[in-house]
Amino acid sequence: MITEEKVKELLRCGGYIADEAIATAVFLALQMDKPILIEGPPGVGKTALAKTLSSVLDFPLVRLQCYDGIDEGKALYDWEYGKQLLYTQLLRTQLDSYLSVSADLREAVERLSAEESLFFSLNFLVQRPILRSFMSDKKSLLLIDEIDRSGDEFEALLLECLSDFQVSIPELGVIEARQKPLVVLTSNGTRMISDALRRRCLFLYIGYPDLDREVAIVCARFPDICETLAEQMVHFLRKARELNLRKPPSLSETIDWAHVLSILRAERLTPEVVANTVGAIAKHQADLKQVNELASQVLPE
Amino acid sequence: MERIITRFVMALRERGVRISPGETIDAVHALALIGVGERESVRALLRLTLVKNVNDIPAFEEVFHRFFSSSQLGGMGLDTADILNAMIHIVEGEQLKAEKHRTKEKDEPLLAVDEEFTDEDLENLVGLEESEEDAAGADIMVQLDGFRGRMDKAEPSDYQMKSPPTVSFARNLGAGMQLSFKPEEIADMQEVVYRMLVRIRKDVQRMKEMESRGKLHVIRTIQKNYRHGMVPFLLSLRRKRKEKPRLVVFCDVSFSVSYATRFMLLMLHTLQNRVMDVRSFVFNREIVEITGMLRNMPVNSLLETIDRGDIINLDDNSDYGNTFRAFKEKHLENMRGKPAIIIMGDARNNYNEAEEWALEEIREKAGYMLWLTPEERDLWKRGDCLIDLYGSYCDRVEVVRDVEGLSRIVEDLFYTLYDHQDTRAWKGNRRKAEAEEAGEEWNYYKLPKAAASPNVTQESPSSAVWRERYGTYYRKR
Repeated sequence: MITEEKVKELLRCGGYIADEAIATAVFLALQMDKPILIEGPPGVGKTALAKTLSSVLDFPLVRLQCYDGIDEGKALYDWEYGKQLLYTQLLRTQLDSYLSVSADLREAVERLSAEESLFFSLNFLVQRPILRSFMSDKKSLLLIDEIDRSGDEFEALLLECLSDFQVSIPELGVIEARQKPLVVLTSNGTRMISDALRRRCLFLYIGYPDLDREVAIVCARFPDICETLAEQMVHFLRKARELNLRKPPSLSETIDWAHVLSILRAERLTPEVVANTVGAIAKHQADLKQVNELASQVLPE
Repeated sequence: MERIITRFVMALRERGVRISPGETIDAVHALALIGVGERESVRALLRLTLVKNVNDIPAFEEVFHRFFSSSQLGGMGLDTADILNAMIHIVEGEQLKAEKHRTKEKDEPLLAVDEEFTDEDLENLVGLEESEEDAAGADIMVQLDGFRGRMDKAEPSDYQMKSPPTVSFARNLGAGMQLSFKPEEIADMQEVVYRMLVRIRKDVQRMKEMESRGKLHVIRTIQKNYRHGMVPFLLSLRRKRKEKPRLVVFCDVSFSVSYATRFMLLMLHTLQNRVMDVRSFVFNREIVEITGMLRNMPVNSLLETIDRGDIINLDDNSDYGNTFRAFKEKHLENMRGKPAIIIMGDARNNYNEAEEWALEEIREKAGYMLWLTPEERDLWKRGDCLIDLYGSYCDRVEVVRDVEGLSRIVEDLFYTLYDHQDTRAWKGNRRKAEAEEAGEEWNYYKLPKAAASPNVTQESPSSAVWRERYGTYYRKR
């Protein structure tokens, strides 16, 4: 029996430091077979959570990247027209002999329509991510990334899949999931997602991590960075987030920066170190200047 | 336990958080899985299952704090057996309901909690944490909070959706100092805009279908069907692709029109990037573009930023002439295409230079120009109002009184922009059908024009001559 604590521990093994809310969400999602909808600013580890989960729980990751104009042909299934055509061509001679026994045209049509389902079978079905995760024999993790980039139609399409874990294909009927996958949806909140979809999910908001967690994350990722430097970094970045930058440094920037500093073997932060490595934190021309100014104000020479 | 959760949900609904019964069931279900343990984990759990929107999180935190630290449950029977009985009863009822949807093994944990539920757990649950204040006092405080502000107007309670939601500009002028919104206003507004968007989207779909009746594009069809062995399953047609209509909006944020402006801004925020390509500006004396901010910031924090005067100085009086000149100098050159321009404001220029030549130049670059004013026509000729002068450069001047009206006008504008020869026929039909459907509402929409016509007839003869000579009614000053 898996517990919340165990989830936390598992995630920690995968290098993901989770807080209470995240662990509870994952635990509940596993127990209740409910999708998790994760919202939050870019770079706080929404997608990383899904990836870590897939590796620590040993669920194969099936990823669906959403974009404007995604439809069921890209997300659920598609018919392989080419293969169908090819088979019809190849079987033409066979068909002749098969149909030659029939007495008249009516019988021939009947015989043929009896075999019709042959061409609309799983053989000719291309499985797109959602169907693939439903059809897999092992429990998988379905990551529907950046759902806010897709259109409303696509959201509506997801409703059936996410609440009942089934896909309706007109030619084949309803296909139910063999193993209900763990579903993770992420959103950057650029567009309001409909209430219908929200209602079917557990809603998890991941904001910027608190101080202790952020330090713990840096230390866990880069053991060669000493704790004082990590704390100094995190303090500095938290100040930078308050600056009203065009792209505030997120957790992923913290990790990038820690990586840079660990490569450079920095011992402590000075304005000079910041100036050399500012590219890892600030991503706009105007931001660079502000971050450098902040560094000269708050950091010791 | 269900009672407690239900009460909690009621409290949340009262604060304007929308929670469906399904989510309540989820919460109970989840509580059964995790068990009533530490306060923190219960909080995380309830938040995960009940709150589905970032903006609702603060409300949740507040209600949770209030609800589970004052022992409000004192009135209920604290007998374990009673509560357990009630709980089993409700759980069983729920199982019956849920059986269709859930598989068998899912029900087990729900039953399991009944056996494991001890007196100790109950203690935990009832006063998740002891409140420091006198419990009874806290109780009264909570009740007072609930009553505050309810006496002055009789309204349907917040958690019942108003149908149809109508939000009036005229209301609440005293609070016009603040641009930010109450949550229910945002919800209503989103409702109105959403309905408009659904209507528009349906028609865009239809228009696209109309467009697909074109000639076959042979090369593209072949390319598209390459993987089908050149058998044309998917057709590609030559068609003229209509671009998303471009829109440029000016909003006056000076005090006199701020209440109407905030709705305009909210509407723009909701519209942004959905069906139109919108550039938005706010002005009073200076003019500042806020397109990027609208796109990236939650609407309330944007409005608060404007409120604080961080974008433009709110103490200035509006100066339309200066605004138009500044726009012409700074932005007119990089306006792409021939956008439609909407100006939202009362045209009260505070006796500054009118500078209508700038507006005329802007008009030349625009495909369409619409002036929206929150002021009634009767007031137009009084004081420093220049709407007659500025209006002469606009294709249309409209009075907007409420969100419904605003959304109508924007919708109407959309059709004007998206107009297409093929679509005219069905557009007429659509209007007719809508008029029948909406009944009164449609008449109401026509009213402003009808009400204005006596105004025109009462012109003095000299102005009629003037109009004959110069062609426009609006130039009359």
